[in-house]
Amino acid sequence: MTSRRLEERRIAFQRYKDDVKREGKPFYPYAMFHDTVMSLVVVSVIVGLAFVWHYTDLLGPSLAAKADPGTTSFVPRPDWYFYFLFYLLRIFKWPNSVILGTVGIPTILLIVLIAMPFIDLRAERRLLRRPIAIVAAVLVALSMGVLTYKGATAKEPLGAELRAAVPGWVKQEKLPSNAVPGANLFATSGCLNCHTYLGSGGSQLGAPNLSAEGAKNKGITFQISHLKCPSCVNKGSPMPSFADFGEANLRKLATFLEASKGPK
Amino acid sequence: MPRKRNRKEQMLAAAQYPLDWLEERSGLIGGVRYFLFRKVPGDSGWWHTLGSATLTAFLVQLGTGVILAMYYQPDPNSAYESVQHITNDVTLGWLVRGMHRWGASIFIILMFFHMARVFLFGAYKYPRELNWIVGALLLPTALLEGFSGYLLPYDQTAYWATVVGININGTAPFLGPFLASFLRGGAEIGPDTLARFYSLHMLLLPGAILGLIGLHLYLVVRLGVSSPPWSEEAAGRERDEPPPVPGTGLVNPAPRGVTKRPD
Ligand code: HEM
Repeated sequence: MTSRRLEERRIAFQRYKDDVKREGKPFYPYAMFHDTVMSLVVVSVIVGLAFVWHYTDLLGPSLAAKADPGTTSFVPRPDWYFYFLFYLLRIFKWPNSVILGTVGIPTILLIVLIAMPFIDLRAERRLLRRPIAIVAAVLVALSMGVLTYKGATAKEPLGAELRAAVPGWVKQEKLPSNAVPGANLFATSGCLNCHTYLGSGGSQLGAPNLSAEGAKNKGITFQISHLKCPSCVNKGSPMPSFADFGEANLRKLATFLEASKGPK
Repeated sequence: MPRKRNRKEQMLAAAQYPLDWLEERSGLIGGVRYFLFRKVPGDSGWWHTLGSATLTAFLVQLGTGVILAMYYQPDPNSAYESVQHITNDVTLGWLVRGMHRWGASIFIILMFFHMARVFLFGAYKYPRELNWIVGALLLPTALLEGFSGYLLPYDQTAYWATVVGININGTAPFLGPFLASFLRGGAEIGPDTLARFYSLHMLLLPGAILGLIGLHLYLVVRLGVSSPPWSEEAAGRERDEPPPVPGTGLVNPAPRGVTKRPD
């Protein structure tokens, strides 16, 4: 048995088809004219951009230096239409939630996008009678715009970028290989939002430079208990607790910190 | 006795002959005729050009891409130099490369605009759900096409953006590490990575996009484009009275625009 709603839709579509057949205009030449003009504009804009790129510096260099897997100081940037995804990585930094930014949210967005026709089942198409759709559309457009803008203007390195700096740290600090997992954790876990390390990082809340933390020889046990509860060890420390990382991760971090005796 | 035909008629008949020949054997002429002369809502206008504009941008990518592929070398030792060669030495190479580079951005922008238009017009609703889904698959496919093409110039920007991009793939649960090492073609980015990205960028992804676009356009023609939601024309106009439902005992009213004839 077909539901009443389905039946109504079918009738409405049939009526649309009858109406178009009776009162519509043929695709050629009417709609085709609009399409052709628009396509000419599109091709002109593309050619125009190619000219601007070639003859001015407005659109950036035509090529950067040749790829060199040895450098780490290079700040990677995807093409601009990935900035909104890229910037999400700034928002989610903790090892446990970074996955939200990298796969979680994009996957959810994609599923919602694909499922759209089954989420909004009403037949109503007039904008003013679809307040939820309008608000959702404006919010999505706004947040993508803001994230793109922020991504384009971001100066501080992102977690993923800092990770690319790790091989450089290994070289400069002569880190032993057992310190590398901790270095990767350190780069991607938000420590550098406040601390600095060999020139990377945020230098906020008065957090110290940790490039030579290991030179103090405080020991791995101290480092672990400090990470678990910074304010217990240093009274009044604004540094948040990292106890959630789990014993194994904290040990890696502590190993890295103790191995960091300053650049050699 | 048949009237002797004049020159003009003869020429018309001669021009008609190959068309008739083709039509008789393929039906293609009828198909094109159907495509061109199908009716669209009387008040469809500039908003409806965004889809074909996206298509145009994609065709620019195909055309310029074919030319670039004639000169590009997908090998880490010569990729960068071959792109330099295209930019500096090949006649109008800078133009073709520039169009491909910026055409990609325009393609993506137009796709988002087209999607916004479809969303705001409510054109994803019955019976066009499937076409929305095809579109929603085109979107990530096109983004992947952009991602895979970004590595090919093999400069610092390309290289490090790809390192990070692949690492991000690697963070996905279950499939992530597998996907990352598949994309890299090993533990490190190297010759295999570039060849892989080249093949994805030149064959798999454009092929997928072409197939999806074909399906998309088939559905557009089959279902007809929706009229604007504010349409004053009859097509697609919302009516205040609920549509009549058969089986309720109501007689279907005459369709709008058809009034009783005078006689
Ligand atoms: C490669 C990208 C795409 C191309 C070349 C393309 C092309 C087109 C064309 C030529 C039309 C008919 C004219 C028009 O309405 O503009 C159309 C309609 C449509 N497109 Fe796309 N499109 C693309 C991507 C998308 C995306 C990303 C979506 C949504 C997620 C989408 C959803 C639709 C729908 C639902 C229609 C029917 C609209 C109506 O009947 O009013 N398309 N597309």
